[in-house]
Amino acid sequence: MAVAIAAARVWRLNRGLSQAALLLLRQPGARGLARSHPPRQQQQFSSLDDKPQFPGASAEFIDKLEFIQPNVISGIPIYRVMDRQGQIINPSEDPHLPKEKVLKLYKSMTLLNTMDRILYESQRQGRISFYMTNYGEEGTHVGSAAALDNTDLVFGQYREAGVLMYRDYPLELFMAQCYGNISDLGKGRQMPVHYGCKERHFVTISSPLATQIPQARGPGYGIMSIRVDGNDVFAVYNATKEARRRAVAENQPFLIEAMTYRIGHHSTSDDSSAYRSVDEVNYWDKQDHPISRLRHYLLSQGWWDEEQEKAWRKQSRRKVMEAFEQAERKPKPNPNLLFSDVYQEMPAQLRKQQESLARHLQTYGEHYPLDHFDK
Amino acid sequence: MNLFQSVTSALDNSLAKDPTAVIFGEDVAFGGVFRCTVGLRDKYGKDRVFNTPLCEQGIVGFGIGIAVTGATAIAEIQFADYIFPAFDQIVNEAAKYRYRSGDLFNCGSLTIRSPWGCVGHGALYHSQSPEAFFAHCPGIKVVIPRSPFQAKGLLLSCIEDKNPCIFFEPKILYRAAAEEVPIEPYNIPLSQAEVIQEGSDVTLVAWGTQVHVIREVASMAKEKLGVSCEVIDLRTIIPWDVDTICKSVIKTGRLLISHEAPLTGGFASEISSTVQEECFLNLEAPISRVCGYDTPFPHIFEPFYIPDKWKCYDALRKMINY
Repeated sequence: MAVAIAAARVWRLNRGLSQAALLLLRQPGARGLARSHPPRQQQQFSSLDDKPQFPGASAEFIDKLEFIQPNVISGIPIYRVMDRQGQIINPSEDPHLPKEKVLKLYKSMTLLNTMDRILYESQRQGRISFYMTNYGEEGTHVGSAAALDNTDLVFGQYREAGVLMYRDYPLELFMAQCYGNISDLGKGRQMPVHYGCKERHFVTISSPLATQIPQARGPGYGIMSIRVDGNDVFAVYNATKEARRRAVAENQPFLIEAMTYRIGHHSTSDDSSAYRSVDEVNYWDKQDHPISRLRHYLLSQGWWDEEQEKAWRKQSRRKVMEAFEQAERKPKPNPNLLFSDVYQEMPAQLRKQQESLARHLQTYGEHYPLDHFDK
Repeated sequence: MNLFQSVTSALDNSLAKDPTAVIFGEDVAFGGVFRCTVGLRDKYGKDRVFNTPLCEQGIVGFGIGIAVTGATAIAEIQFADYIFPAFDQIVNEAAKYRYRSGDLFNCGSLTIRSPWGCVGHGALYHSQSPEAFFAHCPGIKVVIPRSPFQAKGLLLSCIEDKNPCIFFEPKILYRAAAEEVPIEPYNIPLSQAEVIQEGSDVTLVAWGTQVHVIREVASMAKEKLGVSCEVIDLRTIIPWDVDTICKSVIKTGRLLISHEAPLTGGFASEISSTVQEECFLNLEAPISRVCGYDTPFPHIFEPFYIPDKWKCYDALRKMINY
């Protein structure tokens, strides 16, 4: 028995083996039998202390009956750098970003906003089948993108186009994806706003959401967490920068909960007045918008003015309209691209299906919109 | 009523006569993204019509739980494309509940409703027809209506059926044609296919939206080829009505089955396999399957992907000339 316990100490067995089981492991040669990967906290088994012996638990006993309130979690404070008028609150938190970078943040958000307006309208006109705007959430996109390296791989959800905008994804390619035209990197396969770009390290968007939600808050999963004001670009920037630095240095995950508000409807298939008040939406649009707050900061720094604002609005609208008109004129990809990339190599059965479509179109082609597709 | 209204009517009837009936899912409280639950929360209260978090596994898991207590659980999965996080709950829990407990327990009062099928621009994640995945699972029933009148009767049967049911609603039909639908409850039996048009030369089988496609193909066949088609709506995928299909094939000798879902492993393969077992000597030609291709459902290529009337007509023509 003493030998077994000593052996257990040497091998750091801590998976709750019973005494009886330990008795079987008398010989050092049985080392390989019950080896387990030690968890982060290693405890040597001992029945001598009156502490909980549950493997992996580091809590104390308590003799008072008390439930933990979930409200404790929702009381996590929200980190911010700027107030709602774009003024720095605590100067030591000001990231002191250079003018060009702040202008890039501002122009990315506003160009995205302009593109959103035009493309939302184009869906209403039947030019594209579907669209989702990013109104109100632009700050979370660009603040985080700016704090990452351009080569950091981003897995976005469907309302994170600002990351791509910040990474200089061209308007032509945004439009190409929405129109599903021949320039679309995604080969026309997905609904609009499902962008992806290998060179910009942005993994292609997919629709399903529940497969991607962290099912619990960070502390519940034992993950280092912070909550930030998502409409404060500098707060998002600072938090992301620091989280990235530490994640790489310490090899552990960090969760940033960027609080923001979706000002637009969920999509062109949604009318959100059915489930929320117009007053609420207006509050966020007028009183706490990431673009306005950053603009106030720019103005107070003397880096921007009304004239530049007017000129930029005109220019960005023109750029978007040009890209839009071009995208609309381009043909759709060849229908053969319906069949590729299911696997890396095309299975024989699928090739037969591809051939049968080709034959079918030879006879019945007049009934299909072949004129819009690349030959 | 149109199809979404007939669904609302069925749900209204259920909540009116069954005090244990509750409806839950994402966004059902305000009326649902397809308007199927409009007015029900106001009428029956927030304890009976309520939203769930965005978590399909939880929606079905919760539904199973309350069904086990005996309540009538009517769960909504917002798009059939999103049912997969709940797959484990459906296959390993709901479907096996009665069997594994030796009939001590069951979740038969669970019905899961979900919008299904192509819609013109839904692409990969708003167009899927996943009935084949569930057809492989003994213990559940899978039902798909073709019209408002059918939808209400079939949905009421699912809700009242003593087995967990999945009811797929063709979303492209929600606002399409309206027809006369009684306000009072009525039932259409499950596991009974319907011969919606009699014929003598070819049997055409489909379900949901595709029934309308094959009905049109039957007209084309009559007009262009002088061929008489028997058109059958399968209605219940499992347990399916083998007898009606076989009886028809014994008469006609030719069978064409069509569905949007991909060809390989699609439900047409089950029908085809069974029919050749039962009706081998009656067959005049190989059984034809006109289905979606073995790819994810594409966006811009949808017109080329779907098993439209031209593909069905062409396959029929080849069968006649075999």
